Amino acid sequence: MADFDFVVVGSGMSGGWVAKELCERGFKVAVVERGRELKPEVDYTDMVDPWQMEHLNMKGPDSYEDYPIQSEVYAFHSYTKQFWVKDADHPYETAPGTRYRWRRGHHTGGRSIMWARQSYRMSEIDFKANATDGYGTPWPVDYAEMAPWYDYAEEFAGVSGDNNDDVEVLPHGGKYQPPHEMTALEKHMKKAIEGQWPTRQMIIGRAANLTQPTEEQLALGRGSCQARDHCFRGCSFGAYFSSMSATLPAAERTGNLTLISDVAVHKLSYDEATNRVTGIEGVNTQTMEPVTITGRAVFLNASAIPSAMILLNSKSAKHPNGLGNSSGHVGHNLLGHVGGGYANGYFEGLQEFHHYGRRPNGFYIPRFRNHTEEGDGYLRGYGFQGSATRAGWGGRVDEAGIGAGYKAEIQKPGGWNIWIGSFGETMPRFENHVALHKTKTDKWGFPIPVMDCRWTDNEINAVKQAAADAHDMLEAAGATVLASNKGKITEAYLSAPGNGIHEMGTIRMGDDPAEAPLNRWNQSHDIPNLFCSDGSFMTSSACQNPSLSYMAFSARAADHAAKLMKDGVI
Amino acid sequence: MTRLNLTQARMNRRSALTGLLAISASGALAACGNGAGAGQTAAESIDLLRYAKPTKFFSDAEIKALSAIADTIIPTTDTPGAVAAGVPDVIQGLASEWGDDNFRQYWREGLRRVYKSLSGETKFVAMSAQEREAVLGAYDAKVYGGETEDGFYRDMKKTVATAYYMSEPGATEELAYEPVPGEWIGQAPISKYPKTWAT
Repeated sequence: MADFDFVVVGSGMSGGWVAKELCERGFKVAVVERGRELKPEVDYTDMVDPWQMEHLNMKGPDSYEDYPIQSEVYAFHSYTKQFWVKDADHPYETAPGTRYRWRRGHHTGGRSIMWARQSYRMSEIDFKANATDGYGTPWPVDYAEMAPWYDYAEEFAGVSGDNNDDVEVLPHGGKYQPPHEMTALEKHMKKAIEGQWPTRQMIIGRAANLTQPTEEQLALGRGSCQARDHCFRGCSFGAYFSSMSATLPAAERTGNLTLISDVAVHKLSYDEATNRVTGIEGVNTQTMEPVTITGRAVFLNASAIPSAMILLNSKSAKHPNGLGNSSGHVGHNLLGHVGGGYANGYFEGLQEFHHYGRRPNGFYIPRFRNHTEEGDGYLRGYGFQGSATRAGWGGRVDEAGIGAGYKAEIQKPGGWNIWIGSFGETMPRFENHVALHKTKTDKWGFPIPVMDCRWTDNEINAVKQAAADAHDMLEAAGATVLASNKGKITEAYLSAPGNGIHEMGTIRMGDDPAEAPLNRWNQSHDIPNLFCSDGSFMTSSACQNPSLSYMAFSARAADHAAKLMKDGVI
Repeated sequence: MTRLNLTQARMNRRSALTGLLAISASGALAACGNGAGAGQTAAESIDLLRYAKPTKFFSDAEIKALSAIADTIIPTTDTPGAVAAGVPDVIQGLASEWGDDNFRQYWREGLRRVYKSLSGETKFVAMSAQEREAVLGAYDAKVYGGETEDGFYRDMKKTVATAYYMSEPGATEELAYEPVPGEWIGQAPISKYPKTWAT
């Protein structure tokens, strides 16, 4: 008799969803989280006022010593560092001549605590991309199949956005919570950009912040977004979607959830006679005691690099390349997003307008390259995020003047600042992969990962054009460009792979078992009771933020797994 | 093996949330960081984040000089100035607890050098407020006008201003601060919100 019906490895963005869906269907679920149990009253710092922040909230030597990689993240500061791993405890290597920056946090909810909450669907154009240009393997599902699951995920998570926006590459279900308003300058930019390029659109960002919570959300203890923009410190109002605010409470209230914290999973247990996984084997990270947990089925939701490593490490005589890896693709086709094309500047007019509150969101310019406009020397495309707001005091203290006049100048709202930055699709390439280090392990005895990931001309050429587009759109909006990287893009200029914080693709799905470890249901082609619905399953990356897709696929995969278990198939 | 159930954590979160909402209802959420329950939480977090052991790096004389400069950059007007807002203490804390030896040396040497160039027959600290403003104003104009290159002076000025605008009087009296705005208004008349937001 197994300990649980399902063992879910990881409590983050996707694992929380799997736990919720399975618990709500009556199954006993263990969520095994390698990090500590988060306690909002201790870990959330969203009630700290500026004057309570020690040392002006500047990153100190401890940040650079303990968090040399994590401290590079925009969301990292002294009051969020509790959500990021200490790099020395979690080493990894990169293949000679390659770079990789791996950003993560180990605690209940994983990166759903620190995500930027941008929530976009993939479109039919994305689901057809691989089949159309021949890179990677074709997606086994289409948009029509996924649309109801996106509806479901958006409605439970709570996404704000403009239901009137009609964007072919970013479809929606018409049930967004009220959108954040654009600023006066953003409204002006939208007119200017859409006027100059009828092929482009500018929309308000779609953010998983509650602007009009539903009964279901209120019942989970979630409240309306208070426009504080302290999301990266955790939200005591539960106003943005996370495993902590939404999915785990929903799972927990069924009475079917057991959260097991501080357990790192090292491999899956496997029964050769039945060709079934039987649970997980790992270690308590605090006591170093070995841990075994059994389940009738297993979901991998540890994120793209660890999930692949767990399969690769689950070696046996019959499976020398790891479990679920008859295709040889586990760990390969590592995808992400490539940022880099940007422009910022200022705008002289509209001085009669200001804004109130702090918007945890910005605007979005959906992909137009290789869609409504051709791309110059690359496939796929990129979108832009950005914002246009009046300058605060921070950028103006280093200006001439002292005394009462200096004070009075800074007390008046500054001029309008604008920035936009691109986020682009990366191509599925078998060569980009993660492997287990042959000899080195972490302090818990698990092989450390070795990442081997490179940009190709496709990514470089796309960012080149993105930088030029960013510059040109700011000018078209009437802004004076202060900085941009138009004409400056080379491979060395691009930030390292991994810096997009969206690693995916390492256990991709596809109809052909020779090409993909997972089938159309996020289920292993090889082992029927093994599932994976974290970013590993992504067959292509598209260019939009992926979390909403992880949610929709996780809900769908859990629904399917539940049916199979009820029917006695697994 | 540790088996944990979320119930306890959720209950704690709910009571924390209830407490906050109660404070909000009484109209005192602005002070929630200093309030009973939430105040302790914030203080504890700050304590956990502390890096170095507190010792005083700057001498009393150095603090006196720094205070004179800081209060000339940001004087008391209809709102408190830099010294009243505690800026010298923050900078003492940075040097004593936050920075490394390079940081400390940079500040000590820089402060002494700037102070010396501001002082003539009368030391800067002995000047009247009007004299200080004239002397420092002239120096500031030379630095920002490109006549004198002084990266330390600019760093010091930025630090003084940052400490001021992050202080309680700087944020709440000089600028406009809303700890919990409650809503976002993208396009609002400047007449209604005429001040720079503190955050």
